[in-house]
Amino acid sequence: MTIIADNAYLNTRVSVMAMQLFEPSGIAALSHLPLATLAERFGLTAILDEQQSTRARSRAVEQSLIQVLLAELLILVRPMNTAERALVLDWGRKYALFNLKTLIRGKLYDLDQKEIQDNLYVLPEHMRLSEEVSTELFRAENVLELLRQLEAGTHRTLARQAREVYEQQREPFALEAAIDQRYYAGLLRQVMAFSDANLDPLKRLMGAELDRINLMWLLRFRFSYQLSASETFYHLVPSMRLLTRERLLHLVNVETFEGVVATLPAPLDRLLAGSKNIVDVQKRIGAYAAQEAHWVLHRTQSGVARALAYLMLRERDLLLLFALAQGQILNLPSAAIEIAVELSEPGCPWAGSRAA
Amino acid sequence: MLRSTPMKHVRLLVLTEDLPQASLALADMESFHPDTRPPTEVRLAGLPGREYREVFAQANARLEKIGKLIPVPETPEIEQVRVVDFAELQTLNAWLGKVWNETSSYEEDLRRLDDEERLVKEQQAALANFAHLNIDLGMLRSKTRFLDFYVGLVPRENLRQLEGAIGLAGYILHLYMQQDENAHVVIVGPAGTKESQLSAVLDAAGFQNLPIPQELDRNPAELQRDLDAQRASIDAQRKTLLETLARWSDPFSGPLLEARRTLLLAEPLVSLDPSIRSAGYLAHLAGWVPARSVERLDARLRESLNHPFEMSVRNPTSDERPLVPTVPAKSWILSPFAMLVKQYGVPEYGEVDPTPLFAVTFVLMFGSMFGDIGQGAVIALAAWLLRKKLGRFWPFGLMAGLSSMVFGVLFGSIFGEEHLIPALWMNPLSDPLLMLRIALGWGVIFLTLACLLAIYNRLVVRNWSGAVFGHHGIINLTFYLALISGAVNVATAGEGVPGVRVDAADAFGTLPMVLAIGALLALAAHSWRHQQGAVGEKILVVFIETLETLIGYVSNTLSFLRVAAFSLNHVALSIAIITLASMMGAFGHVVPLILGNIFVIVLEGGIVMIQVMRLQYYEGFSRYFSGNGHEFAPLKFRRGSA
Repeated sequence: MTIIADNAYLNTRVSVMAMQLFEPSGIAALSHLPLATLAERFGLTAILDEQQSTRARSRAVEQSLIQVLLAELLILVRPMNTAERALVLDWGRKYALFNLKTLIRGKLYDLDQKEIQDNLYVLPEHMRLSEEVSTELFRAENVLELLRQLEAGTHRTLARQAREVYEQQREPFALEAAIDQRYYAGLLRQVMAFSDANLDPLKRLMGAELDRINLMWLLRFRFSYQLSASETFYHLVPSMRLLTRERLLHLVNVETFEGVVATLPAPLDRLLAGSKNIVDVQKRIGAYAAQEAHWVLHRTQSGVARALAYLMLRERDLLLLFALAQGQILNLPSAAIEIAVELSEPGCPWAGSRAA
Repeated sequence: MLRSTPMKHVRLLVLTEDLPQASLALADMESFHPDTRPPTEVRLAGLPGREYREVFAQANARLEKIGKLIPVPETPEIEQVRVVDFAELQTLNAWLGKVWNETSSYEEDLRRLDDEERLVKEQQAALANFAHLNIDLGMLRSKTRFLDFYVGLVPRENLRQLEGAIGLAGYILHLYMQQDENAHVVIVGPAGTKESQLSAVLDAAGFQNLPIPQELDRNPAELQRDLDAQRASIDAQRKTLLETLARWSDPFSGPLLEARRTLLLAEPLVSLDPSIRSAGYLAHLAGWVPARSVERLDARLRESLNHPFEMSVRNPTSDERPLVPTVPAKSWILSPFAMLVKQYGVPEYGEVDPTPLFAVTFVLMFGSMFGDIGQGAVIALAAWLLRKKLGRFWPFGLMAGLSSMVFGVLFGSIFGEEHLIPALWMNPLSDPLLMLRIALGWGVIFLTLACLLAIYNRLVVRNWSGAVFGHHGIINLTFYLALISGAVNVATAGEGVPGVRVDAADAFGTLPMVLAIGALLALAAHSWRHQQGAVGEKILVVFIETLETLIGYVSNTLSFLRVAAFSLNHVALSIAIITLASMMGAFGHVVPLILGNIFVIVLEGGIVMIQVMRLQYYEGFSRYFSGNGHEFAPLKFRRGSA
């Protein structure tokens, strides 16, 4: 059977779901809607619960938007084969890793169990850390115990090195960076294991995503956290498209923000030319990754690549929606909300100083 | 025996302070299945047990963690049932926290020793590798004026990225050995300014320094002895640590056992927590209780509670039927069959429990498809000998074996030999057509029985329309029986009158024809009424559904031909084995006979079992058994003894 016949059901599903993706004009229209209308249109009733604290309302909105995304993900993985399902489920498991990081930070900063619990995402069964692991981690009474629990599971090597780093530095950056790095390296390995007609579209999609991640990490680690070139490179996940291993080795050695932007390969050099700061770069590279995802969604026939592209775009939309809702919950001025949803340029002075 | 145990809905209103006592009484009775639905009264909205549950969970987790180093019995005898109040639970939790704090330092020490031992092992492996090199290893131990050396381990998956990263700081990495998940590497680079950069990267990559021992120019055997001595020393330290731990923990054994008991006593209230609601001093809890236990429960509560309480009892309403738990069959002989039924689902309350019927039909079908005295005896004997390993499952093997033996007597087969004993009935191969007819007849009886059970199940829940028009309802059964009756008429028409050819339509019979067509029309009309859509679409759907009914019943009946087919197949296989054995001469006769019988018992026995399961699940259960119920799980102590 051809890839079209193989993926007929999945592709139809994706096409139907893709109709709900936001158009740029739609986002502008949404940004002018009052909170009550937003809540009604997207089923975000938690926003209107005045008795809850601002933080709790915001959290509830985020939680319901994630539920929407993951529910759609679970619908899309149903007709997939084992390898496709594993890839898409693993992409969604980043939320389980967010929970893992929340647990680690919570224990590290000795937060109250309730506070940690309140900050964990409620995830569908397939997307959680295993029940046993999360319960044991949650019940750990200090960081060392938590790291010991982690060492007993699939994060064995991570936890061992984290314990050593923790004993020296007492901060979670190394562990979190390693978790992120392994997550993306795992996705990349899964993509490269495909050998059929799905491979090229997946490479294009995941390549664009990794380019985006690598560039953001590179700029942050080098110029915000002031890490050395070696350490910065170590935390990156070379992409198979633009920011390959050789290019990254070259880029991390560039000493200035402007220099990095100027040294980027085409088409990133053209797209990012004149970027003033990391926020600016984030916006432009985000648009580039979204554009690539749109290309995969509309121009390819691979069911799994289209499903993943749809989910990435849907996640982006839902994050914009969350930014809109949160902005209104916090009573932020509309100009600030528009910057957050990328409808206008960040003109305020603090935005530029961060990348300097 | 086929009906569910009658259940009652029990609602209790007690004073909040009596809740712990009530939970103990309910757990002790082992007959209360909590109903977690909130009460209709909005004022009963409080959740009084949340804090208790949190403290319990923490205390329990602490005890579990301590239990990994200091053995604490899982389910000790509970000598006296008593209330564990919140203050006692908090005190216990705090004490367990303190004990865990101290215990965890021992755990940390043990882990440190494990790490040290692992490092020594890696060192031994590395030195064994260095032994083949013709270089001055002493150089690797310390920095030189211009060069830094690092010898150590790094997780394999970090290797490539690390190589690129240290390359940026002017260092080179040489991989000299890979062992398990680690790579052994030597990193060399210029001494000086980039050292701090490198150290951050090495930390991030999980690099572990591997100390190079002094006096590397010594005899390698001596070095190995040193390392062995280090390992022995670590073993000794571990032993001492475990002894210290044992001595230290000795006074805690009693209190920890008592802590376990206290937590077991607190557990019922925690388990009940999701179904408890309160308003001030009043607490509400509800659950399902077997009708026969209600009076005893009432008496027990009167005896246990210090204050008045209200207990109201009623029958489940029809809407509540899916929520009512089903009490499982408790017969040792049926329990393995119940396990197989549970693979499909738990009977919904009111639904016929198929376990007894399943057991009888399973044993009958298995025996008829695998009839052999010797092979049946082997299966039965194996089940008996392995009864400890098989647990509750052994009666299943025993009965399957015995059934096989009974049919072996009827067929006259012993270890595949068909001529050693006379058949009490007949050898299946002597009249295959009769066997096929019997199998079809059995199929008709089985399917009719399944339809009758489906109708009964719907009548019990007052689903009148489903009982008449639904799948395998009265109309379906009428159609099926008419079809079978007509088919029998056609098959028997002209029998005994040679040379006379009878037209099939005439032979079918007027009454069966009228009933079959009438039933199909009734089903079509019923389906038409429930369809939505354009007329063309409705015609198509109704036509396909009606056709599916017709084809479905015919193919399902024919499916039972496998019962005869396998009994014939069994004989044919046996003949093949005996023929093979007889070709081997007197000496070689025994070996193929034994191997052939093992082959038949394992492979054909397995296939027959799968086929019988298939008939049960697809031709039986799918007709009358929803399996949507949930099992009765009463509140109880993890080891109830008072």
